[in-house]
Amino acid sequence: MNIQFRLALRYLSGRKMRTALTTLAIVFGVLVIFGMNIVLPTMITAIKTNIYAASGQASLTISHITGNLFDQSLVENVLPINGVLAATGKMVRTINLPKNYFDQDSEKPDRVSVLNLQGLDLDNVQSVHSFPLQDGRFLLPEDRDAVVITQSLADKISVKIGDSMRIPTVVGEKQLTVVGLLFPRTLPGDEDIFVNLPYAQEIMNCSGKINLIEANIDNFEDQGKRDEVVNAIQERLGLDFQIGTLNSNEELLGVMDMGQMILNIFGVLALFMGAFIIFNTFRTIVLERRYDIGLLRAVGASRSMITGMILIEGLIQGIIGSLAGIVSGYFLGYGILRLAQEPMSAFVNIKLGTPVVPPALVGICLLLGVSISVLSGLIPAIKAARITPLDALRPSVADVNYRKQTGIFFLIGSIFIGVGILLLFSDQMSWIAAGAFAFLLGLVCITPAVVRPFALLFGKIIARIYHRQGIGELAQGNMARHPGRTAITVSATLLGLAVAVAAGTLVSSVSISVANLIKISMGSDYLLVPPSVSLWGTNIGASADLEQKLRAVEQVDVVSSLRFAESKVNENSVSVLGINPHDYPWAGGLTFVDGSESDYDQLNDGRSMFINSIFAMTVGAKKGDVIELATTDGRKPYRVAAVVNDLLNAKVTTVFISQKNMEKDFQVTEDIFIQVNLKENADINAADAAIKTAASGYDQFTVISGKEYSQSLMNQLQTAFSGFYFLLILLAVPSLLAMLNTLSIAVIERTREIGMLRAVGATRKQIRLMMTVEGLLLAAFGTILGILGGLYLGFLFVKGIGTFMPSEYIFPLSGVLAALIIGLSFGILAAVIPSRQAARLDVIRALRYE
Amino acid sequence: MSVIQTENLTKIYGKNETAVTALDRVNIQIEEGEFVAVMGPSGCGKSTLMHLLGGLDKPTSGIVRINQISIAEMGDDELTKLRRRKIGFVFQFFNLIPVLDAAENAALPMTLDGMKPDLARKKACEWLERFGMANRMKNRPDQLSGGQQQRVAIARALVADPTIILADEPTGNLDTHSGDEIAGLLRNVSNDYNRTVIMVTHDPRIAAYANRIIFLKDGSVIDETILEKKNDNNAGLVADKMKKISD
Repeated sequence: MNIQFRLALRYLSGRKMRTALTTLAIVFGVLVIFGMNIVLPTMITAIKTNIYAASGQASLTISHITGNLFDQSLVENVLPINGVLAATGKMVRTINLPKNYFDQDSEKPDRVSVLNLQGLDLDNVQSVHSFPLQDGRFLLPEDRDAVVITQSLADKISVKIGDSMRIPTVVGEKQLTVVGLLFPRTLPGDEDIFVNLPYAQEIMNCSGKINLIEANIDNFEDQGKRDEVVNAIQERLGLDFQIGTLNSNEELLGVMDMGQMILNIFGVLALFMGAFIIFNTFRTIVLERRYDIGLLRAVGASRSMITGMILIEGLIQGIIGSLAGIVSGYFLGYGILRLAQEPMSAFVNIKLGTPVVPPALVGICLLLGVSISVLSGLIPAIKAARITPLDALRPSVADVNYRKQTGIFFLIGSIFIGVGILLLFSDQMSWIAAGAFAFLLGLVCITPAVVRPFALLFGKIIARIYHRQGIGELAQGNMARHPGRTAITVSATLLGLAVAVAAGTLVSSVSISVANLIKISMGSDYLLVPPSVSLWGTNIGASADLEQKLRAVEQVDVVSSLRFAESKVNENSVSVLGINPHDYPWAGGLTFVDGSESDYDQLNDGRSMFINSIFAMTVGAKKGDVIELATTDGRKPYRVAAVVNDLLNAKVTTVFISQKNMEKDFQVTEDIFIQVNLKENADINAADAAIKTAASGYDQFTVISGKEYSQSLMNQLQTAFSGFYFLLILLAVPSLLAMLNTLSIAVIERTREIGMLRAVGATRKQIRLMMTVEGLLLAAFGTILGILGGLYLGFLFVKGIGTFMPSEYIFPLSGVLAALIIGLSFGILAAVIPSRQAARLDVIRALRYE
Repeated sequence: MSVIQTENLTKIYGKNETAVTALDRVNIQIEEGEFVAVMGPSGCGKSTLMHLLGGLDKPTSGIVRINQISIAEMGDDELTKLRRRKIGFVFQFFNLIPVLDAAENAALPMTLDGMKPDLARKKACEWLERFGMANRMKNRPDQLSGGQQQRVAIARALVADPTIILADEPTGNLDTHSGDEIAGLLRNVSNDYNRTVIMVTHDPRIAAYANRIIFLKDGSVIDETILEKKNDNNAGLVADKMKKISD
């Protein structure tokens, strides 16, 4: 084995504790990045699976760019196009099922929570698709309520040929008769159920409408020919149609991308902290091994050999740390996904499955972890190579160049902080983020310069507290003797706690803002809630009958419903919600950002709409602008009457229009969310019974009181936030590692000094106290700067979030106190092992130690 | 033929008012196979001379020739190779790498020079056996006594077949018995293996093992003594001379 490798391995295994701590820093950074990067892709894959599962085996799919319904006759326009072999129209609807729908057992987990209803045109569907049957028969044109399902679905819901199965529909619950069983589903995705197209149109209340054309074309494998056909279809149908796969849930994918970016920032910061720790360790390693390195140089090791040896140590730690980080990151991701399953199934009714690991991610994490380890060791390695044999043979003098420490870095740091403060006044999210980084970087840069003043100030306080022990001055002196190393440790603590405090601010501000929104948006007495309250398009709603039935209930005062359609503005997907401007303010309500309650009337006046803040930001629109919305009849101009926010659509690009306009432009009359207010002094019990009776037969809705629903939403938020708090604690851990590392190194480095102190009369207790106080000083310094940075960062985060969702800044008093307690206790905790080691040193051996 | 030769070798540390002349125009010649001790009071320039001879430090002025070649113009890489192949070092402290065992430490110059570890170890073991360390090959430095550590250091100094061994206070950290053993070993290295040994020491008893003693004071050579034969009176003679110089 190469001598550099051998030496590197021996040094690493010779100092197991330190090697473990340093490697742990890398493990942690990679863990966060890897863990976070498998969580969101897994969610995205789950959503995409839902989308793609619908597109089946046809070579082309054609849908309206809004994803909405269009006229069935359009199939006839596609068939004559040269190159199109066959085409068929379909009505495809995702049906989110209420909990325990099939098994009626709340104890057992639901095996089926989503169905994909496909209405097939039996005249031509078999020329596009084949349906290999395992048992029974396929659908016939004369069938009405017949259904063909897969064997796997039949097994899950325990039905066989001839049995009936129920499904929720827009016109109430329907019983279908199973006539055929297809082979079990092998691909991931939701279970399909197939019915006759006219029947599907009947139960979905959309006679003569379809939302998908599937076609098979000639020479599908030939890219050129395929493009020709696609262009011909596009030309024939117009630009309001898209050719490819079904378009839905894009808005959620966008939100997820942003979430992934925020989490990646956390991961990079964690890795950055890891780099600090490794750099610090290697610097000390070089100092500690000065004599070894000098000796190696004396007996013939070249400079490059010394550099190589230190870098190989970094490489080995990087590889081991990254691999361990990837493995533990997988388990972290797995755990988070388990935690997220509950809110995901509650809000969007999507099953997450096991973590998806993109192979590139493994490579990237390995590369990041290894390169950061090696790069962190580079400067110390180069410094090591500069050690001459003679340097090693001379006694070391710990010299501090105070002026140098305050010079250029202090200046650069001050500039960065200034820039950070200036960017506080920006309204652009990207500038705000840049300001946050500038401020943190500035704090890191000025740290070396403030080590000594801080040590002097707090050392004096400590010296007063422990004036009979005589260790205050020592601890203060020790902290100030290596401003560079102290600064690096403090920076790691600073970053860890700053991110934690900032994230805490964000969580508390957002949760309070959301709680306020819940009170406003969910203020009605009763709610009829569909399975998914974010992805409206996957819900089966109800025809106007249900609303009429509810209005007929004696105790009911106001009924307000939401209708949903998809649209596009430019290339942005937009959720369009249809409201009744007269009733909506009384039952639900919006928070006005620009405009007032009186603007509701404008929605009845021609084509007007309210837009939410995300829409305003994405499209760059404001009150008074006229924006073209893609509708099923082409693009229509809508005037922005107000900018508003509400809870349910806070994350999604949304506009609100009147239900009248929705029916006219989108042909949607289906209610997907209904709010009910009771008359004053109404008999609650009678109302409860009457509303539930009216809603019977519409099992897709859960009837729930507004208060109960708000409470359950708050509980779900608490669950999600508790996961976030766990992440915050994780983010603070590297600062503990950094302090532990620095203090352990201090004991090793000062072995002789400690021996001397013991020889001249210091007790074990005094030595222990000296190290603990040093830890405390380090921690206090890092914590104070961390809180400062965190408050600033938190303010910026909330301001940044405020650009696209409602949030008000709440001073995180409890977060600051928690950071103070965590930071200081980490300091004491980090000192436990090193101070014990120091106190237990044998005086004679310590004095001999070199 | 001179293995080592210096001409007006001068080393000054610091500048202006703080300048300290550690060596002042030193001219010495050391022949092949000689065992030379360098003695003098503290601060006389013994170690500085050793460092300059070994190419560990650069002179302020003057020349050092090793095997007739001046080392003043050599770059770091050339000096590194010279130390690896032509010179063996034995120091008072920090003599061994703590994470390597005795045989690995002794084999270090060979492994650094690219020799296969097995072969280097075999050669190192041969030297360690000659020095009575056969049963200590796999011990790490902290498992060896001071005397044993210095034997490993001498084996390391010899393993690459260098012509010169430079020993800086090799017995300074040892008890009398171990010190005698090490000094005897260095004498054998010179006598039996025909290596040139230069040893810095302040101990007259140890210096008495050498063939020739160079006395330094305030950076200059002030005397030389040739000891023809090893006998018990030599130590007394050297001690007297040292006393005179110090006075």
